[in-house]
Amino acid sequence: MKRVVINPVTRISGFMEIDADIDNGVVTDARTEGLLFRGFEKMLEGRSPFDAVYFTQRICGICSTAHSVASTLALEDALGIAVSQQGRYLRDIIHGCEFLQNHIRHFYQYTAPDFIRLPEGNTLFETDHRDFRLPRRENDRIVQHYFDSLEYSRNAHEMLAILGGKAPHNHGVFIGGITTQATPEKIGRMRALLVNIRRFICDKMIPDAYAVARCYPEYFEIGRGYGNLLTFGCFNGYERLGTLYVNPSTYSDSRIMELNPGEITENIYSSWYEAGRDTYMPFETIPEPDREKKDAYSWVKAPRYKGLPYEVGPLARMWLCGEYRHGISTMDRTLARALEAKKIADIMWVLLDHLVPGVCVQKEYEIPRGACGAGLIDTTRGALGHWIRIENQVISLYQIITPSAWNLSTRDRDNLPGPAEKAMIGTIIRNPDAPVELGRIIRSFDPCVSCATHVYSKGNRIKTMRVVP
Amino acid sequence: MNQTDSSCPNFQARLETASVLVHRAIDAVRQKRIQKRNLIWLELTGCSGNIISLLDGANPDFKSLASQMVNFIYDNSLMAAEGEAAMDQLFRLTGGDYILAVEGAVSTKNDGLYNIIGRRKDRPVTAYEAIKKFGEQASCVIAVGTCASDGGISAARPNPAECVGIQNLLKRKVIKLPGCPCHPDWFMGTLAYVMLFGEPELDDRQRPLMFYSTLIHDICPRRPYFDQGIFASKPGEKTCMFKLGCRGPVTRVDCPIRKWNERVNWPIGDDSPCIGCAMFGFPDKMEPFISYDTT
Repeated sequence: MKRVVINPVTRISGFMEIDADIDNGVVTDARTEGLLFRGFEKMLEGRSPFDAVYFTQRICGICSTAHSVASTLALEDALGIAVSQQGRYLRDIIHGCEFLQNHIRHFYQYTAPDFIRLPEGNTLFETDHRDFRLPRRENDRIVQHYFDSLEYSRNAHEMLAILGGKAPHNHGVFIGGITTQATPEKIGRMRALLVNIRRFICDKMIPDAYAVARCYPEYFEIGRGYGNLLTFGCFNGYERLGTLYVNPSTYSDSRIMELNPGEITENIYSSWYEAGRDTYMPFETIPEPDREKKDAYSWVKAPRYKGLPYEVGPLARMWLCGEYRHGISTMDRTLARALEAKKIADIMWVLLDHLVPGVCVQKEYEIPRGACGAGLIDTTRGALGHWIRIENQVISLYQIITPSAWNLSTRDRDNLPGPAEKAMIGTIIRNPDAPVELGRIIRSFDPCVSCATHVYSKGNRIKTMRVVP
Repeated sequence: MNQTDSSCPNFQARLETASVLVHRAIDAVRQKRIQKRNLIWLELTGCSGNIISLLDGANPDFKSLASQMVNFIYDNSLMAAEGEAAMDQLFRLTGGDYILAVEGAVSTKNDGLYNIIGRRKDRPVTAYEAIKKFGEQASCVIAVGTCASDGGISAARPNPAECVGIQNLLKRKVIKLPGCPCHPDWFMGTLAYVMLFGEPELDDRQRPLMFYSTLIHDICPRRPYFDQGIFASKPGEKTCMFKLGCRGPVTRVDCPIRKWNERVNWPIGDDSPCIGCAMFGFPDKMEPFISYDTT
């Protein structure tokens, strides 16, 4: 048996390690470990509830808007504020910009280098494997798009800034919708940018994703995981427009069910935390770190739904809304993400069409002495939850369960691996000295370890064998 | 929208500082008047948002930086290699000439084990170890963003990972480019200046004066409202945000001129207060970010 260690897993946000046991060319066990701890939940205690919106964005540089949206929803829930439809449209347009920015960057800058040979003579593009299969012309076309794409992801952030002030870390998303108002000029500018971004997605990104898929067909069989899918819903339940994307729902055992948020728990059996119990509900406790805990191997917590691991992200959403049912695998995740980018652009077009210029959605808000609120929303990488408790007008508890915590979650007492771990187990590795399959599987989840703030390295476990991956 | 409206030649010149410098550096490299330098970009204990902000830069863009200005050696978010091969690319530069850009603070807890950036020769490489090793040897160190500059939000109370800014760990001068995130122009302009002329003129907090010399409040387009005592009572209003807790009066950076993301907007232009993200002490000393009850 061989143990393979990949660290750093590059082209993700944040730091992680993959540990895999390979026996006769097959992955028999695999672990995902995040390597960055900052502890935002502890930092937020005692701060003004309003500050959570800008504060939590700093969890993540590539999906900061996601946190501002979840945080705002939690505050609105706690303060009992009903948001106007215009407020929702404005906020969801900003959120949509982040989807476009993220998906374009994830496909070209993070995923493509796994399959495309980038120009030689640049250290940044040197690779450690040779499994490049696209014909020269197709390869070079996608390389060109790798660089062209920089303009379109940048344009998506420009759109975001038109309503959100700046990106990353916007100022626009706030209680009630956003801080500022739409103007005809802003709407016009955003439409112009959106048309170009959408054209790039349709004419370049989606065909490029299918070109990669054609040359790597076995990746439709690799990296399935459990096939349990979950979404908190997004771009849904508008008063006049109804659901433009997907409602809160789950998929398991070939059945789609409505999501019941009361079934969400977090588990710390394999994590360096102590809470007097393994499993708790979001409002119950923020566990204390305990580095000496027996049988723990990581600081990643393990979110569960009805006690089971669930995969979240673009494939889960596209599957649950019925638009993509080809399969659940590494390549299906990549295709679903590219197709979702087009869907999001179309939804944004509808929302832009329904904006009324000059509507101010801001009021003077008061912080109650005590209150609780939850903000559950699907974001670029999947289901994101913020839970806030306010006591004496300050934050007394702030729980964050990120999409990457769902996907990179650790094992419960039942020893069930997390979804990404499960996706790697059973994979046939063609060359154990260059196990390129593992990184490809993991990147299909678009992990964001910056977001999985509770994560910690297990330290100095003894490796039985080292392979230079 | 806030397209550049400046008829002031001083503002106009400052707006173009970064792109003029970068184009001069690229020309100088092309004509072999200066060397194409090696650049290492270390992401440490932070959100990795400064590399994203750099990708948002457009005058010129990342492609020009990586292909015409520097040899981009290492960045966790962008490099094609992974695992030990990636680490080898970094460590190959040991003893060589390179400019070091760092984003994120450095976690010092448990000898740095709260942030491991890779593994080499069966040992974890911590952010702490990496900054010590590559920081002291670099020909120039640029702290990109507020966390690398002063600890930033990674060091927010109670500072669970015991984070510090990189200067705390280095016995050499660090050029600081605070901002959450750092504006791509601030980094590109500073890098180009370093390549062309060496260290730019810095203030007493080691920030380049060409970007950090003016208080937001002094050049804020809403200053006339302040002078006349016309204050917003909530975000979304078009007047002075001072009474909502705007940190423009203490924050020294050129946001009102430069703006963000192709210069389309900035926080005050978005009818929200400045939260002082480019200031020493952010976030603890800049909070509350928004309050409705300041007299």
